[in-house]
Amino acid sequence: MLLDFSRLGPWRLVLVLIALLVGAYLLLPILLIVGLSFGSSRWLQFPPPGWTLRWYRELFDDPAWIASFLTSFRIAAVVTVLSVVIGLMASFGLTRGEFRGRELLRALFLTPMILPVVVLAVALYAFFLRLHLNGTFTGFVLAHLVVALPFSIIAISNALERFDRDIETAAIVCGASPLEAKLRVTLPGIRLGLMSAALFSFLASWDEVVIAIFMASPDLQTLPVRIFSTLRQDLSPVIAAVSTVLIALTAGLMALAALLRKDARS
Amino acid sequence: MTCFLDIRGITKSFGKVAAVSDVSLEIARGEFMTFLGPSGSGKSTTLYMIAGFFDPSAGDIRLEGRSILREPSNRRNIGMVFQRYTLFPHLSVAENVAFPLRVRRRPAAEIARKVEQMLALVRLEGFADRMPAQLSGGQQQRVALARALAYDPPLLLMDEPLSALDKKLREEIQVEIRRIHRETGVTILYVTHDQEEALSLSDRVALFNHGRIEQVGKGRDLYEAPRTRFVAGFVGHSNFLDCTIAAHAGERADIVLPDGSRLPELPIDRQAPVGAAARLMIRPDRLRISSPAGADAPAGIDAVLSDATFIGETFHFALTTAWGGALNVRMPSHTLPPAGHGVGQRVRLSWAPGDARLFAE
Repeated sequence: MLLDFSRLGPWRLVLVLIALLVGAYLLLPILLIVGLSFGSSRWLQFPPPGWTLRWYRELFDDPAWIASFLTSFRIAAVVTVLSVVIGLMASFGLTRGEFRGRELLRALFLTPMILPVVVLAVALYAFFLRLHLNGTFTGFVLAHLVVALPFSIIAISNALERFDRDIETAAIVCGASPLEAKLRVTLPGIRLGLMSAALFSFLASWDEVVIAIFMASPDLQTLPVRIFSTLRQDLSPVIAAVSTVLIALTAGLMALAALLRKDARS
Repeated sequence: MTCFLDIRGITKSFGKVAAVSDVSLEIARGEFMTFLGPSGSGKSTTLYMIAGFFDPSAGDIRLEGRSILREPSNRRNIGMVFQRYTLFPHLSVAENVAFPLRVRRRPAAEIARKVEQMLALVRLEGFADRMPAQLSGGQQQRVALARALAYDPPLLLMDEPLSALDKKLREEIQVEIRRIHRETGVTILYVTHDQEEALSLSDRVALFNHGRIEQVGKGRDLYEAPRTRFVAGFVGHSNFLDCTIAAHAGERADIVLPDGSRLPELPIDRQAPVGAAARLMIRPDRLRISSPAGADAPAGIDAVLSDATFIGETFHFALTTAWGGALNVRMPSHTLPPAGHGVGQRVRLSWAPGDARLFAE
């Protein structure tokens, strides 16, 4: 290769410097917030005058924060299951079905990704008003499902298209019923697609804030909604602590996904 | 007396296109039958109807006297090896072979015994714990064969199982397949577009063309006594020369070649009126080269040698007739005079009676 790293000579230093700067630019805000969450200053002073775990204690002692945390988790968990199940069924139809308007249907399934989230939020709010779903757990799940489903459909459809259908046919010739062949052969064959569908569905719901603000009621608030509303009242270091917990969770999930992918490849 | 597998007048149309039309075939128990033909000739479609992937538009398929058309694929108890690698990627070699037995809820001890027996049959004893991705293409197809035979199916379908392998490996596995056929006595239906593979493997060959069977018979019959021009052209190498029918009597005809020379009493495939166009077919290995003209020259065709190629055990000659017809001759190298034949030389081509055949156009 003409632009091989080993042949760049002194330019290598420049390249490394640029890479470091970009990395720092991406990471610094995160590191800053993590640092502040352990700082003893009530006013988010930087660098912190001392170190403390006080904000974490406050966070975990506050039932409202814990409730929001659990609400977010429950919604995301239910959304994940529904999104993978519905996404799997839709993907079978979209990749294997032979019917008119299949491509149109595929595009329709993916529109929530392209549509501005605010527009979606307002539309869902207006629609759910008639069904009395605003502020309910069901409403939250249904709304987030709309956002999460395209991720599932993309991940599972791609996996299904890569999976050679003759392998499933071979299982059927071996004596497995069509359903058994799908459960015992096709699903394990596309498990990486299913796992990334689950992961992205969970995250889509977990850190979604716009729709959640419209859906939320005083006693049903997801974590991002509570962060947002708390921020409007005062700038407490507890926010930094919550953010750090969120970052740790997301990083943990991504690491898990990377591990699974590595495991599947070996 | 019913035969083992009876295919009766099956037809399959996709929309207006008939992929298979009115195919009938009787296959005996333990027979190795090959469906040979170019792509799109209907050989795979016929196999898929037996496997149950397609329902025939008309006709019936009977296995041991009972129609299997109402049974779905998974209840037909037929073994199949596919063209592409179809091992279950998340299961080990042993688990792949065990799969059809687990689906049939067989006891664990029987499964373990059978898996061991099958891996021994395909000579992959040490590979039980490997994953499919760790195997070569040839090994994968052998595991697929073990999996297809694990439940003792009475019928094994093979859909171009070696087409993804290189020539040397293909020949190696052909030997294995023949041995396994001998050892198990399973009835095999084998699909291929490779005539050499068909001839070397099978007891009988059914040659497909445009959705129909052109001829069924032993490989040697197809080569020595092709019933149609398509069979003559597809199985083995052939020379074809244009000619005209000069006289017709029973199954023989006299012809006139474009230069006016007449050849008497050649076997012809069907009735054709005098004056009709026909093709004269002779295998390149059945032509003999001798000196032209002279009173003692055998009956035949005069031609000029245009090219000579030595390829080891045989010599290939390209010849051109006076009117521009092209012919090929293959001769074992040891039968040639040391001087051989020179390019540009005029020669007489002759053949034994019965080696030349006519096909009416």
